Amino acid sequence: MARLHERERTPREREGSPWTGLGAVLAKEMADHLTSARMFILEILIVLTAVGTVYAALQGIRSGGQTKFLFLRLFTTAREPLPAFIGFLGFLVPLIAIAMAFDAINDEFNRRTISRVLAQPIYRDALLMGKFLAGLFTLAVVFSAIWLLIFGLGILGLGVPPTGEETARALWFLLVTIFYGGIWMSLAMTYSIIFRSPATAALASIATWLFFTVFWDMVVGLVVRLFQPAQVFSLEQALQLAQLELNLARFSPNTLFAEATIILLRPSVRSLGIVLPIQLDRALLGSPLPLSQSLVLIWPHLTGLIAVTILLFVVGYVLFQRREIRA
Amino acid sequence: MLRQFRLFASFILLAVLTVMAPLPVAAQEGGTLSLSTPYPSLVIGVGETLTIDVDIHSTVSQVVALDVANVPDGWTIEFRGGGRTIRSVYVDADSTANIKARVEPPEDVQAGTYTFQVVARSGNEEATLPVELVVREKAPAQLTLSTDFPTIRGTSDTTFRYSVTLKNEGDEEITANLVADAPADFLVTFKSAGKDITSLPIAPGSSKRLDVSVEPIADPPAGSYQVMIYAQGGDVEASLPLVAEVVGRPNLDVTTPDGRLSGDVYLGRENTINLVVRNQGSAPAIGVQVSASAPAGWTVTMDPEQIDEIAAGDEVNVTATVKPAEKAVAGDYIITFRASPTEGATDSTEYRVTVRASTLWGLVGVALIAVAIGVVALAVTRFGRR
Repeated sequence: MARLHERERTPREREGSPWTGLGAVLAKEMADHLTSARMFILEILIVLTAVGTVYAALQGIRSGGQTKFLFLRLFTTAREPLPAFIGFLGFLVPLIAIAMAFDAINDEFNRRTISRVLAQPIYRDALLMGKFLAGLFTLAVVFSAIWLLIFGLGILGLGVPPTGEETARALWFLLVTIFYGGIWMSLAMTYSIIFRSPATAALASIATWLFFTVFWDMVVGLVVRLFQPAQVFSLEQALQLAQLELNLARFSPNTLFAEATIILLRPSVRSLGIVLPIQLDRALLGSPLPLSQSLVLIWPHLTGLIAVTILLFVVGYVLFQRREIRA
Repeated sequence: MLRQFRLFASFILLAVLTVMAPLPVAAQEGGTLSLSTPYPSLVIGVGETLTIDVDIHSTVSQVVALDVANVPDGWTIEFRGGGRTIRSVYVDADSTANIKARVEPPEDVQAGTYTFQVVARSGNEEATLPVELVVREKAPAQLTLSTDFPTIRGTSDTTFRYSVTLKNEGDEEITANLVADAPADFLVTFKSAGKDITSLPIAPGSSKRLDVSVEPIADPPAGSYQVMIYAQGGDVEASLPLVAEVVGRPNLDVTTPDGRLSGDVYLGRENTINLVVRNQGSAPAIGVQVSASAPAGWTVTMDPEQIDEIAAGDEVNVTATVKPAEKAVAGDYIITFRASPTEGATDSTEYRVTVRASTLWGLVGVALIAVAIGVVALAVTRFGRR
């Protein structure tokens, strides 16, 4: 009796490998992405931004007289009226990621191609996974190209090769950027599964992005004010409030990305958040942290970005698998 | 009769001369010719040459031949006029000719009184002038060095300063060269009026003050060191022994066994830093306190905290246990290690520590990603369908 009950409760075991057809979907999707007009426009936009900001940064660095971590300063140096390249990336990366994924699934439905695709010996897993990985790889290809472009411009403009430390830091920065894009892409893909209309999915994605970019700070401020007692009596209370505000702010991928890039690209930044003067007693200010220590500082950010990307994909996956697909 | 007349005539002439030329000494014999010199008796030193002024007066115009008589052995005397050696001189009537007699005693002349006569002849007339020279032994050239405090005590980094008087007791000016003979570890300089000098002229009978500074270059071991200073001028030399008594002192040096003054410490752990306290001085260091200045909130314990004695040239290992503050920010900090003996200078060394955060949370992050992937795998097996 118990056995029977258990069998009924136990879900049906899957048949076949989820990897079958993954390669085909991945290749097709990447080909679509890389040749699409949408991608072309976005690429032109980001290349122009990169060239402009890096050129401006080069001017600043040449007249600056600083000699350490020149290549990292290419990313972070702002020169009026242009912001630094990482400032642009903060909103260009979500834009590209959303643009690539907001119509990933619902467009297939609308064009009635999904049943045709699934009629092939391709599992649903493979279709979704293939679309997701194709988006992630496309992001990786685009950002790597930009990364190489910036380093090339840097070598031309500065006349010195980058050091190993600089290259390693910039590579980690590349990884952070890809997964920052990954979060927004998973989100947009999930929305494209939830909403039938691509326009709604795009709007929902943009709204979420705007919420975290513009409104999240305000929300955090309001929440902290709710927790704030009528009067702050001790330093510890003030510290706790500040820590709370910081922790809440870190729910936004934008904050995670901004903090991670600062730590990676400015080696002399030793801590995120509140540092008491007593912690800096006898500290050598301005000395760069070793890369390993910078990584330890941003490890939660990096793992957070990767984990949220995967989890958002899982949400989309579960929704997609439960969806009824009729021919 | 003739004799009486001559006597009379000489009286007359004397009277006339006394009225006409009031010379201090006038020697004359005969009527028309007379010789005189302002200083007929002179004192000279050994080795000196002198020139005597001789005046020849004549009442008639005539040529007067010049000569000397009773010249001591080895002496040369010659007459000079118009820049040349002369043998005779022409004197106008009632006038005086002025010549010089150059007297050169032999080099090995003995002290004593020497006399000779200057003789002037004209026809059969002759006048003589006796000259007396007292040759005196010169005071021998002599330099003396003296000081009130020939022995000075100090540590091995003291500059020993002696005040020395150099006196020239001779009769001639001497240029004295100053030389010192010192042990290898010492540098000797002579100063006068604030300037480094190696020689100085010193007038006869006068003295000069010299500052002699003896500076240990290396760290000489404790002991008594003799420095000889010499003043040499011509063939005279004076010497003076000076004594520098070096008292030993400890000279501590705090470092690490391999000399590297930087290292890593990990948050939340007790990190050990190995130190070496070395005594490079010349005396044992007694009661050495070893301490550290660390950033606020850090605990640093030294083992041992006190060293009873470090012999000269010896070293002692000290272990410092460093625990960073709980909330220390990763990065570089400075810890100052200090060793202070009860007597002597304290030495301190700055040690640069790099605080490293524990990588434990890194593993947690990796675990988080693993969980996320696990969820994917679970979803794939749970929801996989065609």
